[in-house]
Amino acid sequence: MFRKSCFVLIFLTFLFPVPRGAAGEANPLDDATRLLADRIAAIPNLHGSLRLEFAGGDGLATSSGKPWQESFRKELEARHLSLTEEPSAPALRVAVTATPTQWILAASVRSTDHDEVRFVSLPRASIRSATLPAAPLRIERQLVFESPERILDASSLANGSEGIALLVYRNGELTALRLDAAGAVKQSVAIVAADIHPSRDPRGELSAQGGNVDVLLPGKICSFGWTSAGEVKCRPAKPAWRGTTVLAPPCDPAGWKLVSDGLDWTTPEMLQVVPDGSSREGSGAILSELPGPILTVNREQNPASALVVTRNLHSGNYEVYRITLACGS
Amino acid sequence: MRSTGLRSLAAVSALLAALLLTQAVRGANRPKYGGTLRVELHAANVSLDPREWKVGSIGAAEGEKLATLIYDRLVTLDDYGRFQQALATEWSHDTAGKIWQFKLRPGVKFSNGSPLTPSDVANALQGLLPRPLQIIPGESTLTIRSSRPVPDLLEQLASGRCFVLRKNPDGAFLGTGPFYLAENIPAQPAEANPGALKLAHLKFRANEEAWAGRPFVDAVEVTLGAPGLRQILDLQVGRADLIEIAPDLVRKARQDNLRVWSSAPATLLALRFDTTQRAASDDRLREAVDLVLDRDTMANVLLQREAQPAAALLPQWLTGYAFLFGSPMNLNRAREIRASLPANEAGTAEPLRLRVDAAGDLMKLLGERVAVNARQANLAVQVTLHATAAYPSASTNPNPPAAGLHLVAWHYDSLSARVELEALVSQFSLEDAGETAPPAFDPEKLYAEERRLLEQRQLLPLIVLPDYVGVGPAVRNWSPAPWGEWRLADVWLETGDNTTSGAPGESSGTSAKDRAPGVRP
Repeated sequence: MFRKSCFVLIFLTFLFPVPRGAAGEANPLDDATRLLADRIAAIPNLHGSLRLEFAGGDGLATSSGKPWQESFRKELEARHLSLTEEPSAPALRVAVTATPTQWILAASVRSTDHDEVRFVSLPRASIRSATLPAAPLRIERQLVFESPERILDASSLANGSEGIALLVYRNGELTALRLDAAGAVKQSVAIVAADIHPSRDPRGELSAQGGNVDVLLPGKICSFGWTSAGEVKCRPAKPAWRGTTVLAPPCDPAGWKLVSDGLDWTTPEMLQVVPDGSSREGSGAILSELPGPILTVNREQNPASALVVTRNLHSGNYEVYRITLACGS
Repeated sequence: MRSTGLRSLAAVSALLAALLLTQAVRGANRPKYGGTLRVELHAANVSLDPREWKVGSIGAAEGEKLATLIYDRLVTLDDYGRFQQALATEWSHDTAGKIWQFKLRPGVKFSNGSPLTPSDVANALQGLLPRPLQIIPGESTLTIRSSRPVPDLLEQLASGRCFVLRKNPDGAFLGTGPFYLAENIPAQPAEANPGALKLAHLKFRANEEAWAGRPFVDAVEVTLGAPGLRQILDLQVGRADLIEIAPDLVRKARQDNLRVWSSAPATLLALRFDTTQRAASDDRLREAVDLVLDRDTMANVLLQREAQPAAALLPQWLTGYAFLFGSPMNLNRAREIRASLPANEAGTAEPLRLRVDAAGDLMKLLGERVAVNARQANLAVQVTLHATAAYPSASTNPNPPAAGLHLVAWHYDSLSARVELEALVSQFSLEDAGETAPPAFDPEKLYAEERRLLEQRQLLPLIVLPDYVGVGPAVRNWSPAPWGEWRLADVWLETGDNTTSGAPGESSGTSAKDRAPGVRP
């Protein structure tokens, strides 16, 4: 039971790995790892035990890439290559490097009187960010959608429908997307009538009302219905931008504010969940580190959850998370 | 004890709560428009004409920093390995990678309002791409044909000199980028003190009609030729927002609690042998010099870990294989080789002369370290400083004797490892006449080619240095590419002043009538 009068800083420590790909989906990094192991195993005159040494590079061959290192070790052992920690054993030196456009897996080992070097390369963008070492998640949350395209806002669908709506900025134009509960795009509506100017800071918010959607833009509001999506009508208006998002979990209906500063788009951001109401200020905070700056926060129909749009600085993708305030630990 | 602990916890919690409350009040901040970003650079002169840039030179790197303000490329590369649309919105190539077709973005205008045409793009790129390619403009497309496969064409177009610009008959250069050059004031004697020099200034103003959107700041003001210590002082007292920090001043900047950003290793410092001094043509002498160099000490002691020892010509971040070239240092073997050489070769009477081409404290220090290392194997190396604009008094002899060694700096400027290696080979004449290796596109071939070049020992890598930048407290969204390219159009300033907030039209920007029609390099 949370005691309101006590000054306590709560850090939720439970971790929720986010499943992003379907089970059994081909992973180019796994394929590349196996290929590199194959190539090393095929080096002629490779006798005795080898000392595996991860060198240089970045990402996977450093300490944050321990799982990959273990997986590579297993691949070598599966090919009957004997590995040892013995310092006098010949070194099998491996580095995995993200060059500007590729992942390069490089390995070198001494064979008789010369070095044998083997490479595997794959396009850098082909590895999904979920495969890469990432900061652990620190709050209950669910990744519901990710895209390399700029997501301006996310909103739950009205009328209790499952799925969400997104506002996307594509090559200088706005598009509204309707996604089903599995994250598949079911409908796309181009907001051509908005006739927006190109911007480095495009801004837009979705507001669902029944089957109709309002798209709030600087100086205008565009409206359409999912059932008559061909008709998008815009009118000049001063939009009332969304204010602070307040969530109300079942065990504390007094409300908690979601706070982000958005001051720096180059660093991961901490989403702060603080009690709403001046009488409760300072009584506690829940922090969740997101993988990038928080761009928008929008409450869902469920009063305990909100959709948060962030840009993952690890992958460059825009991601939509569902943040839910759950009760208990 | 328990009571004190609780009180401390309460105090910390109250402080955090106050912080959270402040941020809650602040709400979701949007980027702010307006203000002038003040930049200081070491270079006294910067050319904005990419055709004038010497490949691999520090001057080219400085020029590229400013060129990104006013010109665009066909494509760009993001930090995640994905090519992004710029002036081209679509591209495709044939299976051989010899014919590339680009669809150009419609409606793009130069900063003077004239439209960008496919012919403009073709004219701009002709001569900027490293080897002859046929560039054919279409109605709204551009076709690039090559007799050989060019699988790394996008890497080339996204880096180096490949900017799209137009040269007007009056000599002015026009770009389609986020800024245009509004003022170019050369260095001149200061009014108050004619003996002192007022540094050169460039002022770039926001291009309101930029196709990618107006930049956040109204203007970028660049001061050229600012000495390193002055730059640090200017950042500290708020007279500058972005400065370059020389590697030997990085430690001081960090101690002064300045915000220091560093790129991936961007500059190679190396020794180049020059056979105009006969001893330098002896393979054994070159091997002895290579084996005696203590690169670790150069990087970790002289440069206080602000550099990395280099045993490869290209950096790890570009090739993924540089780690395979270990340090060749072997003092005993160097002494053995020295003993087998004629006594007068690199001896006291006829030392190997090391010319420091780009004079400066760091280069001089490194040159002297090379001489100290060589002495450990009884090799005599004499350092001679070559005069430059920055150090005019370095050399007093107008006809210095031939030097067998040069200390050279090479700034990596291509995102294609193959192009970078070919440029190094060409610049330093590392191939014998008539010997041209086929282009190496895959890592195996590139590695083999670099290994072959290193074994020739005509160019000995010493250390690689990142670019260091001091970033002022008001600068937001400073997000340069890891390889060092600046992206100032996305930077905004947090001044705490209402004049810099709000939408583009609300800022204290310049009116269209203030606009200069073009850019004079």
